[in-house]
Amino acid sequence: MLSDKHLPAFYGLGALILVVLPWILTAADSSYLISTATRLVIFAIGAVSLDLLIGYTGLVSFGHAAFFGVGAYVVGILAFHNFEETTFLGFDGTLTGLVVLPLAILISAVFALIIGALALRTKSVYFIMITLSFGQMLFFLFVSLEAYGGDDGMMMFEGRNVLPILDLNDRITFYYFCLAIFTAFFVFCHRLVRSKFGRVLAAIRQNEDRMTSIGIRPYTAKLLIFVIAGAGAGLAGALMANHTEFVSPGLTHWTKSGDLMIVVILGGIGTLIGPVMGAFVFLLLEEFLPIIFHELGMDLLKEHWRVVFGPILILIVLFAKTGLYGLIFRREG
Amino acid sequence: MLDIQNLSKSFGALTATDNVSLTVKQGTIHALIGPNGAGKTTLISQISGYLTPDSGTITFDGQDLLALPAHKRPHAGLVRSFQITSVIPEFTVRDNVALVLQSLNNQVFRIFAKASADREERAKAEAILERTGLATEADTRAQNLAHGQKRQLEIAMALAADPKLLLLDEPMAGMGVDESRSLTDLLDSLRDTTTMLLVEHDMDVVFSLADEISVLVYGKIIATDAPEAIRTNRDVQEAYLGTHELHDEGAA
Repeated sequence: MLSDKHLPAFYGLGALILVVLPWILTAADSSYLISTATRLVIFAIGAVSLDLLIGYTGLVSFGHAAFFGVGAYVVGILAFHNFEETTFLGFDGTLTGLVVLPLAILISAVFALIIGALALRTKSVYFIMITLSFGQMLFFLFVSLEAYGGDDGMMMFEGRNVLPILDLNDRITFYYFCLAIFTAFFVFCHRLVRSKFGRVLAAIRQNEDRMTSIGIRPYTAKLLIFVIAGAGAGLAGALMANHTEFVSPGLTHWTKSGDLMIVVILGGIGTLIGPVMGAFVFLLLEEFLPIIFHELGMDLLKEHWRVVFGPILILIVLFAKTGLYGLIFRREG
Repeated sequence: MLDIQNLSKSFGALTATDNVSLTVKQGTIHALIGPNGAGKTTLISQISGYLTPDSGTITFDGQDLLALPAHKRPHAGLVRSFQITSVIPEFTVRDNVALVLQSLNNQVFRIFAKASADREERAKAEAILERTGLATEADTRAQNLAHGQKRQLEIAMALAADPKLLLLDEPMAGMGVDESRSLTDLLDSLRDTTTMLLVEHDMDVVFSLADEISVLVYGKIIATDAPEAIRTNRDVQEAYLGTHELHDEGAA
């Protein structure tokens, strides 16, 4: 077992693997897996942002996919109007990445501000239920948007967002673009949790009632981290919309919030690298379990691969208290 | 410094604070004593903003305290400690104190300032630990402290807020004789700089520290006077002491 003094080396190794991955996959004649790798990186952004709430602040948010969906729909709706040459509330549609992506982050943050301002008036189980409710509200809102495909969602017919120099429609370029954003977000979170504000979050998680008497209003601090996490999820959603060139209400369904939560718990709450590992293991199992069973000729399991998937997740969580992180690292002190 | 007028608070049929008027003069240590269930903590909680009174006024340092949200009161110089130890368990002793300093310096929302890199804050925190006798435990996690040390940390956190008025809710609760004595000395050394409202059961402590004592029984203040006068006050003896000698209370 490694101690967390080995974390920098672990980060370096992980970064190296992610950087050379497209070459390896191309060399192994499996370049179609670059698309899977891109999904992993995007999913990891969403998972890390959720852990800011669950692991670092003690806020179990069960509606995190809502912000993921908002980010995706900002990209989708702007692409739709660009294609149709129509306007949205007087604004032209656009594929310009330098406009779309910041806007996706901003609008997700605004949604998080509104939802957080209401949801954070509750605590514990009530907070879980109210975030779940808001998530489902957004889900049904998107379902009701007939102009944008309703239930079925909509395609981005003109392809991904457009950036200067970078051609995001090239899948290797898009992978590196997502990897760069993931890295920036990860570094941001790494600094955040070690900042003075991060210390306040940790204190709130451990003894919220004490905060008032030392002059801190927990509500404001929790709202700020809720907005930051929501913006992070929105960023991930915007990238995912670009990745699949398709958005649908399914992105905001409560089962997606559940997936994110499982990933965080599986990886190890209260750590940053844990949810990243969780996202990788979760998506790899989801991707390859059916294939493995197919190869083994076990068609029944291939069809019902979740029967195996579930117990694997449960076993990892049962035997490693801080998830995959706890399997690899022993925390100091 | 602190002026309470006609304060009342009921929980259903129970009147926990019954038309209480109380003045704590600047530069004094004012003790609040009374039997269990008299409403001492309820009163402290109303002053610190954890509870809202039904009626009455509280003026602190010339301003209407009830108009000030609870989390702003420490910034105005009004700081409380807790009867039941309430520290941040996984933080080191130093970080518990540093967190208070951060709050009082209005640095709660510093997202980019690394917490462990603030040397000035660290030095200040250590100076406070020095004063409260916790210097050697600076790197210990609060959850691993002995009970008496946790009580000391509770005081250190209150002092870190640089209070004008310190509300101490049974600071000696559960302390050993030696610990209790050193904490008494510490509070005594603060009397020149800090006004205190002290709730305490240990009568030795109360009588060695207090400039003035108020006696609370069933939510009512039945007497406020100098320690010697309280000792001989008939009402106090009847209502509060019953058949007991005043000095025996501390043994419980």
